[in-house]
Amino acid sequence: MSDLFANLLMGFSVVMTPINLGLCLIGVLVGTLIGVLPGIGPVATIAMLLPITFGLPPVGALIMLAGIYYGAQYGGSTTSILINIPGESSSVVTTLDGFQMAKQGRAGPALAIAAIGSFFAGCVSTVLVAALGAPLTSIALLFGPAEYFSLMVLGLVFAVVLAKGSIPKAIAMILMGLLLSMVGSDLETGAARMSFDIPELSDGIGFVNVAMGVFGFAEILRNLEQPEQRSIVQAKVTGLMPTRDDLIVAAPAIGRGTVLGSILGILPGGGAVIAAFAAYTFEKRMAKDPSRFGRGAIEGVAAPESANNAAAQTSFIPLLTLGIPPNAVMALMVGAMTIHGIVPGPQVMTKQPELFWGMIASMWIGNLMLVIINLPLVGIWVRLLRVPYRHLFPAILIFCCIGVYSINNSPFDVVITGCFALFGYWLAKHDFEPAPMLLGFVLGPLMEENLRRAMLIARGDATVFATRPLSAGLLVVAFGLLIIAVLPMIRKRREEVFIE
Amino acid sequence: MSGGVNASPNGARTRFKIRNPQDFYGGVVLVAFAVIALLATRELPGMHGFAFGPGTAPRMFAMLLMGMGFLIMAIGIFTDGPKVERYAFRGPLLVVAAVMVFAGTIRPLGLVISSFVSILVAAAAAEDVNWIESIIWSAILTLFCSLLFPYALNLPLYIWPRF
Repeated sequence: MSDLFANLLMGFSVVMTPINLGLCLIGVLVGTLIGVLPGIGPVATIAMLLPITFGLPPVGALIMLAGIYYGAQYGGSTTSILINIPGESSSVVTTLDGFQMAKQGRAGPALAIAAIGSFFAGCVSTVLVAALGAPLTSIALLFGPAEYFSLMVLGLVFAVVLAKGSIPKAIAMILMGLLLSMVGSDLETGAARMSFDIPELSDGIGFVNVAMGVFGFAEILRNLEQPEQRSIVQAKVTGLMPTRDDLIVAAPAIGRGTVLGSILGILPGGGAVIAAFAAYTFEKRMAKDPSRFGRGAIEGVAAPESANNAAAQTSFIPLLTLGIPPNAVMALMVGAMTIHGIVPGPQVMTKQPELFWGMIASMWIGNLMLVIINLPLVGIWVRLLRVPYRHLFPAILIFCCIGVYSINNSPFDVVITGCFALFGYWLAKHDFEPAPMLLGFVLGPLMEENLRRAMLIARGDATVFATRPLSAGLLVVAFGLLIIAVLPMIRKRREEVFIE
Repeated sequence: MSGGVNASPNGARTRFKIRNPQDFYGGVVLVAFAVIALLATRELPGMHGFAFGPGTAPRMFAMLLMGMGFLIMAIGIFTDGPKVERYAFRGPLLVVAAVMVFAGTIRPLGLVISSFVSILVAAAAAEDVNWIESIIWSAILTLFCSLLFPYALNLPLYIWPRF
């Protein structure tokens, strides 16, 4: 326990330099700024802002990226409440009650509760990340290639089970991602794979290109199709502070949301979206009078907002300890870390403790900044929302282009991103989810490497995955989950939250 | 999910009908991707002894993808589902054109010209484009980008054309 505090203290001493605090602040601000723009979720936001961290030292860059991530999360909630358009998928449920509250002139308390809930959840989950970091890292050291492979299978199965929509389609998307990740030189032999004699492809397809194409650009294409319809709340946002009654009602909801979110965030494939949905559904079940939900119940804002923030943070646990990104945002974080020469995994904590603990401390500071800064700035965000889309999207597009280009100073990367934009547009038309594809894309090289190693160590005996107990356990859980998910009963239940 | 079941007015029941075109054609394209991957990797060495060759894993995943593609096609044939939404033409074409213009001009012409032109091309993607407004907005954005990226963020970008 004293170790934990000593470590956290070290983390805070890393963050508490004026430069790092400034970076955290800029990250939170810019993240919110971009996150507020409709249709730009955390993945696109991080991808877009990645270039601004290039010139920084690794610690500073990660602190800033973490800030951007929380800012983007919070920006999404702001749009949900004020204009009924979720800035990103994890705040879809916030629109249900948040926008109703805003219509009743209670946008201020709704925003404040969202911020307070997020802050509380952030505090709890920061401690959780710190506490679980060390023990999980020691487990990770027991893992051999077979276990790693099975763990990744489990993660991908989670991603399938938790994806909305058809399960075969989600599996197909994962396979598509795995296949795309294999474009380029083979790591062991150097043989060119599926690069069609294009020299630029021999290094493989950049992760940011795929992410920006299918999440950022494709979203623009989708938005351009729909006629603009934004019902911004005209009433001035007055009286930010929630009343005492609000707080009494919201406090337990925040607590439950935090617990649920923390658990779901750790699970691979989970993350903020599922956490928010689960928390909302749970609150509705718990409520004495469920009919209040959807009509401006403050619990309906407090619980999902706390849950998505808790999950956003605890999803760093598998990344930092096992080196396995549990969802698309974390997958992007891997990309960002690799650019800065950090290989995420158990060795980060032992070899670069100042980076690990600094990042954890910055999570807490980032959350604090969100509360202090964002609430007074709500007016500015509202004004930003009034900018018509026809002005917004060229700006988004050009920032993304410059961002993608500057990663490698390669025009070819920009072309690839453009191709993925069309691919993402096609995916949306056929109701395929891009998130599992992205996860497959990131896990692909890791999976192949571990699969190859495990097979080599076992002298070609494929039963190794079933005979090593840890690996077998993980695979059993994975198959069990898949079977449960295929049962139609449970699938119907997942839709419940959308009804009404 | 509306417009899923569309009864054919002329009683064309005898004709083979795809009940869920969204899934069916989605599956077809996935199978096509898998076939391309298999063709592209066919010359790579596979297993030698008990070690994987460079071609093993891609072929494995391509086969699995093909299987899922067929399954999704089958789902498209045997279950009812929505029609494929209409593809817009103007938006995707011009947005992607803007991206390609940027890619093509950033090296030879530098940031200022490249972003100004790409922003204008992108602006044309909106149905409600107003040219005078767009030119002004494009100039402002270009100025902002050429101050932010090369100076504030110190990224190595050429600002003006090089001859």
